[in-house]
Amino acid sequence: MKDYQLGEFEEIVLLTVGILNNAAYSIAIKDEIESRLSRTVSMGALHTALKRMEDKEYLRSYAGEATEERVGRPRRYFEITALGKKAIQHAKVTREQLWAAIPDTIWQAKLAGI
Amino acid sequence: MKDKKQTPPKFFLSFFRWFCHPDMSDYIEGDLMEVYDRNLKKLGKRKADWKFIFDVLLLFRPGIIKPRQENHNLNSNNMFKSYFKIGWRTLIRNKEYALMNIAGLALSITCCLFIFTLVKHHLGFDNFHENKDRIYRIVTEMHSENEHYSTGVPTPLGALVRDNQTFSEKTARIFIHPNALITLTDKEEKTKYKEPEGVTFAEPEFFEIFNFPLIKGSIESSMNTVNAAVISEGLALKYFGDKNPIGETILMENDLELSITGILKDIPDNTGFRSEIIVSFPTFEAFMPWLASDDFWAGISGNLQTFVLLNPSTSTYEAEEALTYYAQEYPMNKQTKSVYQLQALNDIHFIDRFGGGVIDKNHLWILSAIGIFLLLTACVNFINLATAQALRRAKEVGVRKTMGGQRWQLFWQFMVETGIITAISIIIAIVAAYTLLPSLNNLYDINLRLDLFSNTSLILFIVVLGLVITFLAGFYPGYLLGVFQPITAFRQKLSQQHIGGFNLRRSLIVTQFVISQVLIISLIVVINQMRFTKNADLGFDKEAIVMVKAGDNAASKMEAVKNEINRLPGVQQISLCNNAPASSDNWETDILWGSSQEKMDFLINMKLVDENYVSTFNLDIIYGRNLVASDTVMEILANETLLKQLRIINPEDALGTQIAVNSGNMKGQIVGVVKDFHDKSFHEAISPIVLASASRHYSSFAIKMDPRDYQNTLEAINATWQENYQDQVFEYAFLDDRIEKFYETENMMLSGIQLFSLITLSISCLGLYGLISFMVAQKTKEVGIRKVMGSGVTHIIWLFGKEFARLVLIGFVIASPIGWWFMQNWLREFEFRIQIDVWTFVIAGVGTLLIAAITIGYQVLRVAYLNPVLSLKAE
Repeated sequence: MKDYQLGEFEEIVLLTVGILNNAAYSIAIKDEIESRLSRTVSMGALHTALKRMEDKEYLRSYAGEATEERVGRPRRYFEITALGKKAIQHAKVTREQLWAAIPDTIWQAKLAGI
Repeated sequence: MKDKKQTPPKFFLSFFRWFCHPDMSDYIEGDLMEVYDRNLKKLGKRKADWKFIFDVLLLFRPGIIKPRQENHNLNSNNMFKSYFKIGWRTLIRNKEYALMNIAGLALSITCCLFIFTLVKHHLGFDNFHENKDRIYRIVTEMHSENEHYSTGVPTPLGALVRDNQTFSEKTARIFIHPNALITLTDKEEKTKYKEPEGVTFAEPEFFEIFNFPLIKGSIESSMNTVNAAVISEGLALKYFGDKNPIGETILMENDLELSITGILKDIPDNTGFRSEIIVSFPTFEAFMPWLASDDFWAGISGNLQTFVLLNPSTSTYEAEEALTYYAQEYPMNKQTKSVYQLQALNDIHFIDRFGGGVIDKNHLWILSAIGIFLLLTACVNFINLATAQALRRAKEVGVRKTMGGQRWQLFWQFMVETGIITAISIIIAIVAAYTLLPSLNNLYDINLRLDLFSNTSLILFIVVLGLVITFLAGFYPGYLLGVFQPITAFRQKLSQQHIGGFNLRRSLIVTQFVISQVLIISLIVVINQMRFTKNADLGFDKEAIVMVKAGDNAASKMEAVKNEINRLPGVQQISLCNNAPASSDNWETDILWGSSQEKMDFLINMKLVDENYVSTFNLDIIYGRNLVASDTVMEILANETLLKQLRIINPEDALGTQIAVNSGNMKGQIVGVVKDFHDKSFHEAISPIVLASASRHYSSFAIKMDPRDYQNTLEAINATWQENYQDQVFEYAFLDDRIEKFYETENMMLSGIQLFSLITLSISCLGLYGLISFMVAQKTKEVGIRKVMGSGVTHIIWLFGKEFARLVLIGFVIASPIGWWFMQNWLREFEFRIQIDVWTFVIAGVGTLLIAAITIGYQVLRVAYLNPVLSLKAE
């Protein structure tokens, strides 16, 4: 539905934030995605996605601690809002519905084709 | 490890900071640094750098770049607004400080404005002619027993040059007839005008060389026709009002009937050609046939001038070379050798050698230097005051720095404050300049204008001036505020060392006082000398005597008018003469002594007077008797100096001696000796004088009036005179005014010195004030401690007073010899002069000391009476 707009990358990020639970800040998210999905994530793309989702209120953020390797700049931790949870739930449900709607013959034909 | 911290490429980091949205930049920068740090450890510096750059470039995308307008612009604007507001508040809070600074700056800016306008006016003389660089005037240098210079050349030269020489593209002769009498007749009613700028006769080429356009009529027809004239727009309005002036006639000198055939555009201010009536050259031949004649080489009139437009391919040297032929071929007389030279149009206004120069270019440079000096001192005073102020603002600076204020921000904050002060000063200066300009024009007899809105160079000058002042005055204090350490500022540990250069300030104050004291000494000497010239006994009466020019030369008529005037009530004495005892217009001529045929080696001042002259001017005959009236020279009165020159010790011996003057054609015998009187200004010695009676040489009435009612008497004289000379204009001058005119330059200089001494004195007082406020700010605590330890108010006053007394005294010690030397040189120009006495210096020294004392008084007394509790409670 229109209410829950979620792109593919956004969905991945949102899920990763969920995985990381309380330790979700940009670099951690990036590392997590990179290691789990073995794809590189540019900082630009990640921050844009985070910002967009924050604007859509799927995420909220708070300032965290500053460390030495960050030359005193604080981390920014993200967590999923209730709306975010609904959105990702919605995404999951719609996918599952779509999956369920695919006739089994497709899979068999595919298998047969191989 | 820490000291060897690796950093990512600076450029890309600042690029990132520049473009990133401020809300996010902190976090993302942290991320960048973290990743960089990690890469550094894993991959090494080079790769980490590359990755960093790559990341930054990938971050350069819409969601992350900050929005364009709002944040960036608004922020700086707000900051400037804040600077402005804070600056304004600081000014309002420190009214006294602001006032001092603004007064000092406004004063010197006003001077600069005047000097700029004056210098520009003079440098811009005759700059509106198309080929101004190629216009030259032919002038004459005459060598005989001594050298003479003239702005003119013999009349025929111009015509010969035009016909035979190739060096000049165009040649024009003009003759300037100054102080012309113009009569207008309208239905039997005559109106008379005296035009002091006179009438110029000009050849048509004059208008081709110079840019004086006609509004109506044509040069061709006007300048080639006899008795045709063009007049300026303004003059046409004055003469004819709304009537069409073309075709009207005017009468010049009751002799030439001129018909107006053209209207000249008004003559601009910045030209040496001032005549508003220009008459065709053929008319000149009717007006002065002898001078206009084509073979008159025997004399030179400075008013007959020849201008050439030099051929671009010819040098002045070649032209002068070509002119030597004429000097040899047509000599003026046997003894005199003439050299013709070319004087550039540009030099005419500045070089007085040949006559007519108005102002020396060096004077303009000196004036400019004075302007710059005034500006610099005002700036330095500003710096003095501002750094003193900086101490008080240390806390503000401390807070700003702690809150993250950068050095350059503090610098700019102070610059904005300086800018505010400068702007206010400039506005005040402009207003002051506008209000003072008329009186200044009056004082110096010039016609300067400040066209702020049409004169682009003036606007530019003001803008540049403002920027320069802001920078000069604001740079150092701004820099100083920027380098304060917040900690020292808070702990009030700022002292001289942080504020710098105390001795520099002192020497500056001393310099200022040297200059103002030199000026004050000059002022006193000049005033004394002027008073001396005014009050000294000249050897004749000058009060209540009016000199009236006769309307024509007819001797019998003059005699009749004299008798008529003599009968008027209020007229005490009247005499006919060619000039007054002291005059700027003297007839100097040679003298033959006794029966010898040899001329004496000195010239005498010849005065032709009637029998009443001695009594009118109350001259003192010390030996012999007065003259008896006669038509030609018969009897002679000599003055003491003449006897001395002739080496006659006993006046008795002189009586009856035969004397011949004016190349021997005036002979007479000495019948009396008059006591010496000043026949010239005090610049010159008393000349040997001969008084003789010759009625056909008289030209003026000298009338001694009853001083109580001279106004009415003068009117009655005017009426009588007018009745007898109906075609002429009544001209008169009081003798004491004329004598005053001898010292025109000196009086002008006097008012100049007055002005400048006032200005420099005010500026040095401002400087002094700056220094004292600085010192008081420094020493408040010291004074507190001293008072606690038991020292009294007088002691404290002395503590500061001695410092300043010392500065003024050092200034005085330097200024006195300089002032003495300058004034001694100046007085040397006077043959009769005062001695510079000790009092001059005493007055100058004590006066300055007093003014200095008043200046510092308030600040010193305030600190001296301050309760030590107040100054010591905070530490």
